[in-house]
Amino acid sequence: MRAVWRAARAAVRRRGLQTVVIALVTLTSTTAIVMALGLLDAASAPFDKAFARQRGPHVTAAFDPDRVSDAQLARAARRPGVEATAGPFAQAAVELPRETTNFGLGTDLTVVGRADPAGPVDRLDLWAGRWATRPGEVVLNRQSDWTADDLGKTLRVPSGPELTIVGFAFDLSRSADAWVAPGQIAALRPTATQMMFRFTDASSPDRLRTGLDAVTEGLPRDALTASRSYLTLKNQIGSSAKAYTPYLMAFGILGVVVAVLIVANVVSGAVISGFRHIGILKALGFTPGQVVAVYLAMISVPAVVGCALGTVAGNLLARPFFEFVFSGPDAGVFHGSVSLAPWVNALALLGMPAVCLLAALAPAARAHRLSAARAISAGSAPRGGRARGIQRRLAGSRLPRAVSLGIGLPFARPGRSALTLAAVLLGVTTVTFATGLATTMTRFGEAGRDAFQVTVYVGRYDKGTEIRPTHGDLALQSLLRSLPGAQEVTARADVEVRRAGSSEKVMLEGRRGDRPQLDSVLTKGRWTHRTGEVVAGSAFLRQNDLRVGDRMRLEKGGRHETVAIVGEYMHNDRRLVVTDQATVTALAPPEKPIAYHVKLRDGADPAAYARAARAADPGLSPDPVGANTVTQTIVASASALTVMLALVAALGVFNTAVLNTRDRRRDLGMLKSIGMTPRQVTVMTVTSMAALGALGSLLGIPLGMAGHRLVVPRMADAVDITLPSFMTDVWQPSALLALAPAGVAIAVLGAYIPARRAARLTVAEVLRNE
Amino acid sequence: MIAEESRGEAVVRLDGVHKEYGETTALDGVTLEIRSGEAVAVMGPSGCGKSTLLNMIAGLDRPSGGTIVVHGENVGELSEKGLALYRRRRIGMIFQFFNLVDDLSALDNVALAAQLTGSPARQARRRALELFDELGIADRRNAYPAVLSGGERQRVAVARALMNRPALLLADEPTGALDSRSGEQVMDLLLDLNQIGQTLILVTHDAHLARRCASRLVELGDGRVTGEHTLEPSA
Repeated sequence: MRAVWRAARAAVRRRGLQTVVIALVTLTSTTAIVMALGLLDAASAPFDKAFARQRGPHVTAAFDPDRVSDAQLARAARRPGVEATAGPFAQAAVELPRETTNFGLGTDLTVVGRADPAGPVDRLDLWAGRWATRPGEVVLNRQSDWTADDLGKTLRVPSGPELTIVGFAFDLSRSADAWVAPGQIAALRPTATQMMFRFTDASSPDRLRTGLDAVTEGLPRDALTASRSYLTLKNQIGSSAKAYTPYLMAFGILGVVVAVLIVANVVSGAVISGFRHIGILKALGFTPGQVVAVYLAMISVPAVVGCALGTVAGNLLARPFFEFVFSGPDAGVFHGSVSLAPWVNALALLGMPAVCLLAALAPAARAHRLSAARAISAGSAPRGGRARGIQRRLAGSRLPRAVSLGIGLPFARPGRSALTLAAVLLGVTTVTFATGLATTMTRFGEAGRDAFQVTVYVGRYDKGTEIRPTHGDLALQSLLRSLPGAQEVTARADVEVRRAGSSEKVMLEGRRGDRPQLDSVLTKGRWTHRTGEVVAGSAFLRQNDLRVGDRMRLEKGGRHETVAIVGEYMHNDRRLVVTDQATVTALAPPEKPIAYHVKLRDGADPAAYARAARAADPGLSPDPVGANTVTQTIVASASALTVMLALVAALGVFNTAVLNTRDRRRDLGMLKSIGMTPRQVTVMTVTSMAALGALGSLLGIPLGMAGHRLVVPRMADAVDITLPSFMTDVWQPSALLALAPAGVAIAVLGAYIPARRAARLTVAEVLRNE
Repeated sequence: MIAEESRGEAVVRLDGVHKEYGETTALDGVTLEIRSGEAVAVMGPSGCGKSTLLNMIAGLDRPSGGTIVVHGENVGELSEKGLALYRRRRIGMIFQFFNLVDDLSALDNVALAAQLTGSPARQARRRALELFDELGIADRRNAYPAVLSGGERQRVAVARALMNRPALLLADEPTGALDSRSGEQVMDLLLDLNQIGQTLILVTHDAHLARRCASRLVELGDGRVTGEHTLEPSA
């Protein structure tokens, strides 16, 4: 064993470059795999992870306190099938007037009286301040990536108490908008009792229904007034993460396959190029088993070092990368709750060296069988008469000889060339797929972005006090239109209404002014022409099983209007419907616009306009339109993954070029001895890989396009939107032409350094040693 | 077939040539002159610097000191590209182990030398075929090196060396890897070439080869010239 280790150590030292290449490829591949698998894991079940961490309730139920007592509910919670419960908690519905500061919670709040944020079910993440323990205190449900600036401010409940915000807690289950101490809830006039259940079997809606039926079996009839299952919540919350999943899956799978291919290529190449060494070991008296052991040990050293360093690098890069990916308005719900799973590290640390050893086994077995004399005389793997017809045709072609020799080189080692081609092909597929995705996302993000540059909100808050505008609605619109730089002004009002026959609320948005369509991208039908017409988001139509041309009755208070759906536009809000201001007024006469969207003339400065608007009326909050973070996130993360995978593919080419030039040192020496210039050597070596690169482009581009066609519609489906064709048809001839050199670029990037090295070979030294 | 040189003019001049590999001295102040049309054999024990001397003249390696002038070109001062062009234009090299490209046919191996200079494939193959005819291996032109005998391989190597009509033919142990019969054939070939005016420098252990083919013998020992003799042509 000592002899084996000594021989392996000597081989590692002697083959410095090969050792470095193996370590580098395994390092990069492991880094990519750790990140890709980590992302796959994080994207596949982010809700489940966060939900499990908070021990979220499988069912949140509201009971009528007039029909069932807390003691009865506590007894019911002990029925078989119930794993754990939280409650009973008194629950109040608080309606805030629109002009009251609601801290982003909306106007209809669910407030629950709860003694502490912990417990066996629904463990809240109290991320700022403290829990409400006394009357007059409230904790708001807010995600931790928001600001905690509102701590200490006051929430005014109409004809009720004033509540000081003492903390912010995040509850993924959305069991309440705010929590107060049990002693405070009576002042808010609770109308329900909240119970939260975890069941031993919560695998399907049917099982959940069975569990809830068992709980309510002994309770008075109609005691249960409402319930919500975590599966419904999961579907709602997970939709944004589901949008990321198809594309992360695509990148993850590509990363794993590229890495495995490269490792197999590097390792088998290292063994094949060391045949003379094998012969010498056998001649010295090493048994075939010992020779295989030397080779496996020789490969394991750099592979294990590369894997270990790659795992560390993957962990270091994953944290900021995950924060980057899981940020933004939608996926941000998982921000901070996503981390690298331990199994990913374990798999990388054990799996990658195992892949290296497996890849080395086949060629090592060849070394096992080879006779010492043959191995020594061959020097490298015996070459047969492969593809000599191609060489002959190339020799007779009009191409410069260095180029035709280079094109012929891959045919001398078809197996190695096939592995390299596969790596380049996947690299090109990745680049193509990512380019298409980035184009789609950019068009998605940019659609309608020139519709307005500044949003002017009505009302401004100064030290907790709201300052209302001095101008009325129509006067405000005229004022904003008259300010320097303004070209178009469109007013927007929001009102919550109810669709007849449905318990779901509908957010009706009324628009009035120069550009009622604003940034909405119409995918079907037309925009509204008259009062009583609406345009609905694709998510709303799918959710409610409606189509363009259908009619629906909307109700608000005692008023109702029947509206016609005349168009569908691209939007993932399941509640949003757009109409004109007159329709909003017909349903809710007091509702006035809450914002004005201003399109500026070309060259006008949004910041200057915002200053002018603020100066014109102190009751306005102008807000220039910011960057689209979701689009930026996807485009930037796709770019980072593409660069990494292209780099790994280039390393594969680098390795093949190193091995090929090593195998052909004698030929290179001879070619130089008969007058091949260093430039011709470089051209020949680079051409040999560029030929594979060109073929990689030819095959990889259609594969990348197919990936784009497969993934993008699934991303859109996940968030219930229909993408217009100009966002999905991104493959114009100019785009394809720009992608064509991708494979060649990857190949040249990988081959250039070995080619230059080959060009600098000292002929006498090579020929003497060979 | 052979470059026209007026016999007697010095084509190679070595003046105090040194070559060191780390702490090992391979050549230690070699001064030598070789005239056009001469056939010079370099002999000496293993490790005396014979092959190093040949490599220096061929521009395959650079001297650590001294000057090597071949046809007026100071080889030591040439750039890498200059050396490649020098080898292409001036030098034909024959190796002990042939150094043919396994993946190319015998004909394409020979044509390669001309194609690297930019000659069209058809023209290069035509010239290669002429050489195959002259060297008596025309029937083996489409064979690959693996199926050729040692003597045939060396003839292909000679043809390749002559392809660009070199001023200087350098042979490093040209019969070292051949059986005696093939060795004799190669010796005859070299002798014929020299007799029609080809300048030849031959590195060998084989005294018989030296006597057969060379008109002058240079003896090397420990990197130095230890003796020079004129050789009588043998029968």
